Amino acid sequence: MTGLGEIKDNGYMPQRAYIALMARGGWSLSKVILFNMRELKRLRVVPEGEERHVRPKRQYVIPPYHESMRTCRSQERYLRPTLYCDPNDPDVIAIADQLGAFKVSDREFAEAAFHFVKERMLLEEMTLNDVGETFQRGTGTCFHLITAFIALCRCAGIKARYKIFAMNMIRSWYDVVIQPDPFIKKWYDSLGFFVLEGEGEVLIDGEWLVANVGPEAEWQAATGTPITRLGEGSLGNWFNAVPGTEMRMESIPYGLGTSLELLHAIAPGSMERVNISMVKQKERGSKVIAEAGGLEAYDRMARLRQGPRRPKMRLEPRAQIVFDD
Amino acid sequence: MGYAEDLSRFEDLASRYIPRREDWTPSEEAVFGPPDPYRVPKDEADRMRYRAVKHQFERHYRLNRMYHDFCREAKVSPEEIRGLDDLDKVPLIPSEFFKDCPPGKDFALWLGNVYTGELPRIKVGGRSPSHDQVIDSFNSAGMAVCYSSGTGGRHTFMPRDMRCFLTNEYAMAKGVISMFFPHWNPQMRGYLLLPHPFKTNLFAGRLGTIFFDIMRDVNVAVDRKVDTELIRLSMSEGHGLKGRAFKYIAKRKSERTVQDIITWIERNQREGHEMALVGAPFLVHSVIERLKQEGRTFDLGERGCVLTGGGWKVHESKRMPEAEFRRDVEEFLGIPPDQCIDLYGMVEANGWMTQCPEGHHLHIPHSYMHTMVLDDEYRPVGYGETGRLAFLDGSMGSYPGFIITSDRVRMLERCPVCDRPGPVLEPGVTRVAGKESRGCAEEVRRMVSSDMRRGAR
Repeated sequence: MTGLGEIKDNGYMPQRAYIALMARGGWSLSKVILFNMRELKRLRVVPEGEERHVRPKRQYVIPPYHESMRTCRSQERYLRPTLYCDPNDPDVIAIADQLGAFKVSDREFAEAAFHFVKERMLLEEMTLNDVGETFQRGTGTCFHLITAFIALCRCAGIKARYKIFAMNMIRSWYDVVIQPDPFIKKWYDSLGFFVLEGEGEVLIDGEWLVANVGPEAEWQAATGTPITRLGEGSLGNWFNAVPGTEMRMESIPYGLGTSLELLHAIAPGSMERVNISMVKQKERGSKVIAEAGGLEAYDRMARLRQGPRRPKMRLEPRAQIVFDD
Repeated sequence: MGYAEDLSRFEDLASRYIPRREDWTPSEEAVFGPPDPYRVPKDEADRMRYRAVKHQFERHYRLNRMYHDFCREAKVSPEEIRGLDDLDKVPLIPSEFFKDCPPGKDFALWLGNVYTGELPRIKVGGRSPSHDQVIDSFNSAGMAVCYSSGTGGRHTFMPRDMRCFLTNEYAMAKGVISMFFPHWNPQMRGYLLLPHPFKTNLFAGRLGTIFFDIMRDVNVAVDRKVDTELIRLSMSEGHGLKGRAFKYIAKRKSERTVQDIITWIERNQREGHEMALVGAPFLVHSVIERLKQEGRTFDLGERGCVLTGGGWKVHESKRMPEAEFRRDVEEFLGIPPDQCIDLYGMVEANGWMTQCPEGHHLHIPHSYMHTMVLDDEYRPVGYGETGRLAFLDGSMGSYPGFIITSDRVRMLERCPVCDRPGPVLEPGVTRVAGKESRGCAEEVRRMVSSDMRRGAR
């Protein structure tokens, strides 16, 4: 059983901003449910004869685990196991070994882990589970995929953590994720933002690099965004964080798993419709990439469309600015 | 009286804008040194511009963490800038970057991190201060934080120190006086068709303080406090109770504005004063529309000047042709076209491009502004090509003034009409597709347009 000290130390207890977001999201969801009972009832299930979601096949083979394979097994912050993220899971160790854990540089490994999760694991709406199960299945929400990336990095002795925020999204994402289901749309529209979204961060040469492993290339092509690389995040790209909601966490906190379970229990049909839409987008994205002349050509075009490179702003304290509240 | 005398009178009046000569940096040499910013011989301008830009690039690289990291990412350092041809390597910041600022206390830190060098001691009060409160805190401490163009709902915020801001005002006024020569004199009466310079931090208004020093009895069209909240309301299309109340009050006030301007022209004509209308072309257009309705004209001739700036939108979907505007000014105010010129500048830059009276091309102050036109892949293209304007502002010490704008221009190696050396922009600057219209005139237009449209009917 997890002790109180461990709960606090590992960051399982939600931060204040997180609690506020969950409360706001919960309140908004309750209102949507209360005022749309009839519609929700209709949308709970996908009617017979309508298209159903079929989980895509896993895109990789998990190598057999062998005891000689190394894992970090550290209890240091950002390296140790946390909720849903056990870097010592045999599947994690086997895949990390295959990707070059302890044989290549930290940066090379992080790049390999990034590409593995981003390109071979697929987005699918579902409830949270342990990372080993995610690797067995090969699909998951952005939180599953971030956890997979973080587990691989921690297994290889590279510190990694979660970056969580509330956000609103660009139109092309809205059309794919929110628009397909009236219930999700009502919830998003009433709140004005999406309650929780996340990215991974990995510590390389003293710098935390963002890793957005959620959307695969085809999905990004379908939404018109560039194919993100390690170090490139979603914020300012296809998401905008709601001010004051960006949080760094060692672990997925308590409450997220339950919230997702609740959402799936209330609106399983809605989740399925989002999954159907995501599979379709992937197919559409493949066509977009082919029409552009391949992945590189598409990426170059999307980056040009996005505009010139911008500086990164880190809000460092300035001694001359004094806050007096 | 020759230009040298005019300049001398101007420099006396604007002495508080000019740093002590012994303290001049290469940037200030390039701004304050040349008697006429648009008649600096090409070789001399090239030398000054290179020194000014190099000086600022070294400073920002050394003292501005954000820009330093940006340059390192682009693998460019001051050592690589060895001559004029290397200036194209200087990393450029998209102007959109200056719109992405956080709210509350983080906004203060954001301004502090955009700024290059030592800040004065700034005390920011409140748990979650608004943008206006943070700006007031900076400006009370001696800074000149200004903003512009909230037309898309997002303002561009630029933190300048006073020395840099005064340089901007001086550069603008000197450029205008050189182009208006011999029509400026310090006894001229002025009417600013802008927000009041002492009642706003909106760049379009605040930059007008110098007109109070170089003209007499200056009137102001938008004579009330203008802050980001008021601009938000003016952009709100009158939605909500506050929005409707604002539109109602704006309507009542601006009904008087056009009439006030006409009365002011009448009085000064009667008293034999020279006069200048300075600001949003939209308001001059409204005055002309009123005169048309009333079947009246003025004949100001040599005694009148019109200086416009900030864009040419007169209605939501109508852009006023500049040539037609000048024809109307001549027909209804009696001011000849060579005394009706337009300015092009922006909150991000200190440099002002001013139309020549002969051909109305926008002349670039090439002793400190290095301008480029970029293609769709952000690569510089040659003279005569149309593309996105970018510039290296060698006079900008407060933040890296190396910027890619969202304005679409065509640059020529020299003016096809007048004999001034140096490059020009063709008149008719537009926005890059997909970018909202911007400019101080658009803000003024939005502040007063609801009633003006009715007035025009």
